This record gives sequence, structure tokens and C-alpha cells, in this order.
Amino acid sequence: MGEHPFWRLWSMRAAYLALCILLIFFNLMPLETVPRAWAGPDLLTGFTCAWVLRRPEYTPVLAVAAVALLADLLYQRPPGLWAALMVLTVQGLRARAVSLRDQSFAVEWLSVATALIVLALSYRVILALLLVDQAPLGLTLIQLIMTLLCYPLAVLITITLFGVRRPSLAEVNALGQRL
Amino acid sequence: MARDRNQGEEYSGPLKRMLVGLLLLLLLGIFLVWRIDSPRVERFRSQVIDRVMPSFDWTMAPVTGAVNLLRNYQSYQRIVEQNGELRRELQQMKAWKDAALQLEQENARLLDLNNVRLDPQLTYITGVVMADSGSPFRQSVLLNVGARDGIIDGWAAMDGLGLVGRISGVGQHTSRVILLTDTSSRVPVTIQPSGQRGMIGGDNTAAPPIAFLEDADLVRPGDRVVTSGDGGVFPPGLLIGQVAKDPGGRLRGRLAADYERLEFLRVLRDHGAEQITDPGRPVTNGAPLPLSAAPEESRDG
Repeated sequence: MGEHPFWRLWSMRAAYLALCILLIFFNLMPLETVPRAWAGPDLLTGFTCAWVLRRPEYTPVLAVAAVALLADLLYQRPPGLWAALMVLTVQGLRARAVSLRDQSFAVEWLSVATALIVLALSYRVILALLLVDQAPLGLTLIQLIMTLLCYPLAVLITITLFGVRRPSLAEVNALGQRL
Repeated sequence: MARDRNQGEEYSGPLKRMLVGLLLLLLLGIFLVWRIDSPRVERFRSQVIDRVMPSFDWTMAPVTGAVNLLRNYQSYQRIVEQNGELRRELQQMKAWKDAALQLEQENARLLDLNNVRLDPQLTYITGVVMADSGSPFRQSVLLNVGARDGIIDGWAAMDGLGLVGRISGVGQHTSRVILLTDTSSRVPVTIQPSGQRGMIGGDNTAAPPIAFLEDADLVRPGDRVVTSGDGGVFPPGLLIGQVAKDPGGRLRGRLAADYERLEFLRVLRDHGAEQITDPGRPVTNGAPLPLSAAPEESRDG
């Protein structure tokens, strides 16, 4: 890579934030004001998982939390809860990122699926415990399945468009340590 | 090299973990505060939206327009059949137009006879729909008018045809309309010819169910559903839609407002019905009550 690693790091962090804001923006467009029987994928979560498993350093915890909290506020969700669970999930995946690096894509997909299912389940359980009004279970399930089906696409876009790949064995960080 | 890395993590690791812990505490704290005292957090939310949305607005309008243009383009493919359909409909409409004109004249004559004065306070502010709720679980839209334009929480929002929803959350420049289809929307209604009262409550489908009818047998599909004004929620008599029966035999409201195309909404100014709190006093023309009345009163009390 021709550029300085420092600039590369911060520009990719900015790219992550820009991508998230773009996704929120497209979700908010007033195109669908009729209630739908199905739900689209939650691309924000999908992309965040794809990025964090490839380059954990491009998705700092603070950025993930800020984006999720903003989405909570803008999407009329109970603020904070989804963001907190999202941070937990992302940290869990981050811890596994190194061990998943030399596994096949199927293994990665499976572990993301597990993480997201646990995320959705615990979200619903907490809301139910605190007696908060909830969306129909069917919609949540459809959204979860759509997110998982779209995950390979999110990974493809992450790799081709943003060039966020798993680090090869030869790469080193600014201090000369292996990634 | 592996040792180097471990050494680096020895210092930064606990710090990072503490940061994550603090972050989680903060987020869960926000959630709990919202659960305990939601009006305050909702006000914060509307402030955030007020700050964020106008900066999206300049890009949102053209992109939305472009997507709608593409969608319309798809319908050009069947333009010939559509043309035929429209012609047929136009013929039917012409017949209806004549009927409507006659009715309008008749109505005007009757109103004139009765000397009816329509409510002069029912004026409105028109706003443009800026954004929807962004999630399939919530049905609401954001308008570009807010407290600056005199919008107050709880006012009714209509499109040209019927009631759309209720203002819930007002920022300085934006306000949110909870649509009738949202799961948290409940509106007291009257079913027109029979005068039955009930509630129409959204359930995230296009046709919200009607509940709490006294005698559902008196209500037939096709009846008009209007707001009843009970509880001072809305001014009475705003059109909501028609009654329809779903395959399960449940009564639902088919909404008159065109939910496919919510672009401009009218927010009705509503200053509430006047309350009569005075129990009524003897008419004395300003003079004090005669003395004999006073002991009587104390005996009664």
C-alpha cells in the first residue's frame, strides 16, 4: 500500500461511518408509508459484522455504539438497548476475528448467524421483561433471515468496493507488529 | 514478535475493556431512563431528529424523487392497458361527477336553509413529508413543520381525503405524525349511519381493526368511519374511512387517506372543545340574592 498506515486507518474509519450514515439515510427515505408484510434486511448490522471480522481496527467500539444509538433514535426504537446489545455482539465477534481468519467463509457465516440470533432473541426478551410494546415476532424473524441471507452480499461489497480484506500474514501495523 | 504484541495488550487491554464497560453502562442507562421517564428522553430524541433531519433533507428529496421516477417508469410498460382502464374509469367518473354536482347544490341549499355555520376554527397548516420511520415496525412520518409553525402535540394530520394520524413529538422545525396504522395508535370513532362508537387501533397492517363496538351487528361493511371526538383526542367528524370485513370476520377500517402517497399533510389546528365547568347559578341580573335565599342554601348544603 502506497499510503501511510495512519492515514489508511483513519480514512477507513471515516469510510465505515459514511457507509453507516448512507444506510440510515436510505432507510429513512419516505418511500414506504404503507405497512409491509415483510421486512428488509438490517444492512447496518450486516455490514458492521462483515467489517469487524475483517479489520477490527476499522470499526472502533465508539463508532459502532454511536451509529447504533443514532439509528435507535432515528428509527423510533427504544434508545440505547439495541446499541448496547450491538456493542456486546461486536465485541464478541472482535474477539473471535483472529481465530476466524484462517477458517472458511461458511464458518464465518455460521458464527455471524449465531451472534445475530442471540442478539435478536435477547433484544426481544429484555423488551418483553420490561413490558415494552414490540413489533410482531414474524417481522423480526423475517428481518433476521433477510439480514443473514444478505450477509454474503455485504461481505462482497465490503471486499470489492472498500477493499477491506482479512490481513495477510505478511502485513504489519504501524509499530511493526503482526496483525 | 508475539511477545511484543502481548505486552502492548497488557497495557491497552484493561483500558479498552473499561471503555467498553463504561459504554455499555451508558447505553443501558439511556435505555433505563427512557423506560422510567420516557417523555424527557423522547424530547431529546425529537431534538436529535430536529438537528439531523434538515441536514439530510437537501439530498433526500432528489433521491426519493429519482426512485419514484424509476418506479413510475416500470408502469409505462403496461401503458396501453392502463389507458383503456383509465378511459373506462373516466366514463364512470363523469356520471359520478354529475351526481356530485347535484348533491353539492342540494347540500348548499339545505345548509343555507338551516343557516349552518361550519366550524371556523378548523384551519390547517400544510407540511411536507420529509421521512418515514425507517423501520418496518413503526408507522410514522416526519413533517417539515414544527413548534416554530405553531404545531402542538396531539393535533390531527390529514391528507386531502381523510385522517392520517396524530402529531406526536414536536421539534423546533420538524414534527412526527404517528399514523393510524402504527401499533400504538388508538382513535375513538363513530360508525356513521348506526352511530355506534368504538376504537380503531393500528396493528401494523394497512387496514386497522375496529374494536369495542357496543353492537357489532348494527355495523355493516361500507359504513363510514369518522372520529367521534371522545376524550378530546380529535375534533369530531373527521373522515377516517369505510368499514370492511376481513376473511376472519373481524371489522376493519379501510382508510380513506391515500397511504401510498403521503406527500403533503394538513395539520388541523385544534384548540379543544370548550368545557362547561360552571354548575349554573340563578339569574339575578347582577343584583345580590334576596336575603331569604341564603339560609335555604345553607340548609340544603
